[in-house]
Amino acid sequence: MAEDKYKEARIGVFLCHCGTNIAGTIDIDAVREYAKTIPNVVVVDNYAYMCSTPGQNKIADAIKEQNLTGIVVAACTPRLHEPTFRNATAAGGLNPFRFEMANIRDQNSWVHMHQPEEATEKAKDAVRIAVAKASLLEDLIPKSVPVEKTAMVVGGGVGGMQAALDLADAGIKTYLVEKSPTIGGRMSQLDKTFPTLDCSQCILTPKMVDVYRNKNIELLTYTEVEAVEGYIGNFDVTLRKKARGVLTPAEAEARGIVGGGCTGCGDCAEVCPVIKPNPFELGMAPRKAIYIYHPQVSPLIYTVDFDSCVKCGLCVESCGDKKAIDLDAKDELITVKVGTAILALGYDIYPIEKKFEWGYKNYDNVITSLEFERLICASGPTGGHLIRPSDGETPKRIAFVLCAGSRDNTDTGKPYCSRFCCMYSLKHAHQIIEKIPGAVPYIFYMDIRSFGKMYEEFYYRIQNEGAKFIRGRVANITEDPVTKNLHVNAEDTLLGRPIDMEVDMVVLAAAIQPSAETEKTRRLFGVSCSQDGWLLEAHPKLNPCGTTTAGVYLAGVCQGPKDIPDTVAQAEGAASAASIPIHKGEVELEPYFAVCLEDKCAGCGMCVYQCPYSALSLVEKDGRTVMHVTEAKCKGCGTCGGFCPGGAIWMQHFASPQIVAQIDAFLLGGEQ
Amino acid sequence: MAVKKDYKDQKLAEKLRDRKYYIPDSNPEFLKEVEKIGQTPAHMCYQCGTCTGSCPSAPRSSYRIRLFMRKAVLGLEEEALTDPDLWLCTTCYSCTDRCPRDLAPTDAIMAMRNLAFKRDIVPRNFLQTVQLIYKSGHGVPNNDANRAARKKLGLDEEPETTHKYPEYLPGIQKILDHYKLKENADRILAEGA
Amino acid sequence: MSGNNHQYAFFLGCIAPNRYPGIEAAAIQTSKNVGIDLLPLKGASCCPAPGAFGSIDLNVWYAMAARNLVLAEQMKMDIALVCNGCYKSIWEVNHKLKHNDELRDGVNEVLKEIDMEFKGTIDVWHLAELYYDPKVVGVKKIADSVKRPLTGSKVAVHYGCHLMKPGKERHFGDTENPMWMEELVAALGAEPVQYRNKMQCCGAGGGVRGYDITHALDITNEKLINLQEVGADALTEVCPFCQLQYDRGQIEIQDKFGVSWGLPVLHYNELLGLAQGMSPDELALDLHAVDVEPFLKKIL
Repeated sequence: MAEDKYKEARIGVFLCHCGTNIAGTIDIDAVREYAKTIPNVVVVDNYAYMCSTPGQNKIADAIKEQNLTGIVVAACTPRLHEPTFRNATAAGGLNPFRFEMANIRDQNSWVHMHQPEEATEKAKDAVRIAVAKASLLEDLIPKSVPVEKTAMVVGGGVGGMQAALDLADAGIKTYLVEKSPTIGGRMSQLDKTFPTLDCSQCILTPKMVDVYRNKNIELLTYTEVEAVEGYIGNFDVTLRKKARGVLTPAEAEARGIVGGGCTGCGDCAEVCPVIKPNPFELGMAPRKAIYIYHPQVSPLIYTVDFDSCVKCGLCVESCGDKKAIDLDAKDELITVKVGTAILALGYDIYPIEKKFEWGYKNYDNVITSLEFERLICASGPTGGHLIRPSDGETPKRIAFVLCAGSRDNTDTGKPYCSRFCCMYSLKHAHQIIEKIPGAVPYIFYMDIRSFGKMYEEFYYRIQNEGAKFIRGRVANITEDPVTKNLHVNAEDTLLGRPIDMEVDMVVLAAAIQPSAETEKTRRLFGVSCSQDGWLLEAHPKLNPCGTTTAGVYLAGVCQGPKDIPDTVAQAEGAASAASIPIHKGEVELEPYFAVCLEDKCAGCGMCVYQCPYSALSLVEKDGRTVMHVTEAKCKGCGTCGGFCPGGAIWMQHFASPQIVAQIDAFLLGGEQ
Repeated sequence: MAVKKDYKDQKLAEKLRDRKYYIPDSNPEFLKEVEKIGQTPAHMCYQCGTCTGSCPSAPRSSYRIRLFMRKAVLGLEEEALTDPDLWLCTTCYSCTDRCPRDLAPTDAIMAMRNLAFKRDIVPRNFLQTVQLIYKSGHGVPNNDANRAARKKLGLDEEPETTHKYPEYLPGIQKILDHYKLKENADRILAEGA
Repeated sequence: MSGNNHQYAFFLGCIAPNRYPGIEAAAIQTSKNVGIDLLPLKGASCCPAPGAFGSIDLNVWYAMAARNLVLAEQMKMDIALVCNGCYKSIWEVNHKLKHNDELRDGVNEVLKEIDMEFKGTIDVWHLAELYYDPKVVGVKKIADSVKRPLTGSKVAVHYGCHLMKPGKERHFGDTENPMWMEELVAALGAEPVQYRNKMQCCGAGGGVRGYDITHALDITNEKLINLQEVGADALTEVCPFCQLQYDRGQIEIQDKFGVSWGLPVLHYNELLGLAQGMSPDELALDLHAVDVEPFLKKIL
């Protein structure tokens, strides 16, 4: 089969200069002359920008004029322009999969910039190898599959909430999955937001109520993703509904308890004898073993912490006829089918105690910015009175340490800018000036990054209000053992003088890092991450909401540090992107599936166990047992094709003869 | 290049000397040398001041390690190597421990001192230590009072070092001679005397 | 008993044997009491002084330290030592030469002239870390060796710089507020006290003591102020050079600045010797510049 095609092959080779990106290093003329000598090549052309309209037209025209059977473009990467040149191939009347790309830019001219001769030889190799494959390419027809008309959003912070609301408002049934007992996320822990100084809860709670009330949103709090199967359009997601121990009115009704279920009255917590730190208040306030994080939670349903519950039964008693509490509750697994999913997994605070020099967790009066948010918040553990943890006194001199663990290339820091610390520290400075008469904020900074709309103006305002700015990173902090005051040591780099500033309190603007669940969840959805753990978008500029897994999108900080406006904007982008396949109703799958050559298949079934995607099975056909491929599940990884002892599996577009031809072309150096 | 002012009055000429930084003031080789000897990529310094803020010498002198890093980056070799502050680093390595760019400013200072020595710029006490080691193997050699004390303790008067085994001294001297260290120390000390 | 002891080549350095021989005598005796034999490293020299030699020519520093290392390699024994400056030279050069082929080849080129070769077959330890390491000695064994607890005394710790820093190369963990030496002090029955800027340099290193003595002493004086604040009865350290700076330095501070402190300064091995029952004479404490008597009165 392959032999025949090889003889008939008529290949066109097109060399891209990419301006000087390629042509500045590689001798295009030499490659062109060489390409003409490669077997099967009937036309060779080159152009400054093959991706441009005239460049693409060259391909389409040549196909028609020369009756070509395959196209090779030597240019950048398939990731960037394979779709472009496939379209050009199709425009010329050829099946788009009869196109092969040779990467002579990213993997050649860019990395061998100072070795033009070797780069040119390497480009000749790359073209020869691509021609070998193009000569054996076949027509392939993509398959369409229907898309489930539901979506899932993982993470119920402001990003996840916004994405869920947008999807729901676009008419798509959406599951919003949140690991905590309430939605709201980090934003609900903040007191005010920059630069407008809106009360964070005030602008967030209406959204939380909207989410709760929206008929298209199914809110699954205290729930985690357990397993993900399937592909775009058809994900089967298994969820673990953690044992909450408290029934909603609907759940109670389902059990036949009419008019029962949790009303959020709080009688249970009143009588509960177990006291634990409240994680919402970062441990600075107590909660009971049956609890809500704060009065504005959504849904307003209590939760039993079974790790600390002593099962005394007092809560059950106090709940009375509502019968909302079930101390024998168990985790429950449910599976839902969705067409697309958005990950909005948020962030955690970097454990800044790792920077020993700043004494967090060692000195009482060194706190993090998030702790500051709770302490300055009227609904926080101190009723909004900022106090020193050591003695309850009101601090007057407060140092803010910026870039605490961010922009730090050591193994106890994060190399990136956490992006919102400058702005919230300015806000903190404003808050203490406003709340504490005579208080002075000292902001130790390296650069103030106030790049957003009205941000620089906010910086101006806070400076005008009396905040003191010291351009120097804090070297270390020491504690006066008697007064518990802190000595902040740094260099005022503008004065060129070391500074030892005695203050009452230090607030560390600690770096942020991906939330604890991010790694597990991204693996379930098959999403990559960059070196620092943030989830990898499909393209940093042109596809910032998508991922390389079709049907899975990103919103908010899990993709990289960003503030609330950017998070909400990305969430809306992700929601829009996630709704497109659902509205289209069907998606095209790349036709790179395995194909069983049934006459060769012995039905041994070894491949079925090899397949990592459960795409293969054995079926009876014409009285024989043969392997069957569920094309929608097959990712074309080639595990089965490489393994099959009888050579009965044909990997479309990556078939053995095609790969062998490439290897031959490389090893034989063109001598056939 | 700095503007040449041929003022007759030397005092005025110095007072009004052009203090701008001009590119030709820079010797890019200096940065390379510092990085090679100090084995630290000094050019990655972002001038945050953590080093100076950590430095025990900074609060009691004009020594600013951050500025030495800056001078390395800008190739201001002359200024760096002739600055007497170069010798005020106690090599405590606090700056190195805390540097957020994971640099070793201490080792950059050591590299600059090595380069200064090549120009015969070196405090006398460093050279005297060289002479002592050449002679005895020790930078702080034994003395009679100490010998008496050792005897009282039941230790040998001479410790188990080159003091007790002077046959090891020629090997040490060979190493020092290989680098012409003794020769240079003697010469520089004699010239300064 | 001594047949099962851990054996090390004892690298003496300069200041311990030649200025505070009590440290040498104490180290040999106290370590024997907790199961360590320190054997003579014959023909060793100055480490050489990391400040003085490193500042002039790092290559000489590598070669000279390598010669000392080869002496121990020839004994087929790890090195133990009692001085942070020596640790910086001997440990760090050993570490660098083991991990940097180019450097090692350069050094071996020079060592060839004296028929030596650095092979990288041994490790280097500070005696203090061996005391703390439960695989070798451990705090409990130290406590068990105490015959005369130092009860009633407040002892502050100066860790010194060159033992633990730069932290990323070493293996001691927290270099900002370590507590392991306090544990070793508490094991002797003394009360370890914390003071501000505990980890700051004594002021002597990098050749500064020789280059600008008042500058070095001013750093020392700042530490003495902080020590005074918390009422320390004595300062202990594990570096004879730091000891020299604090001990003789107090006399020099009195002389140059007119400020007097009278804070006894003892190497940890001297302190351990006292706790194990050695007499002040057996430790040559009379050689200390600052009278140790007030501290002895507290504990004896």
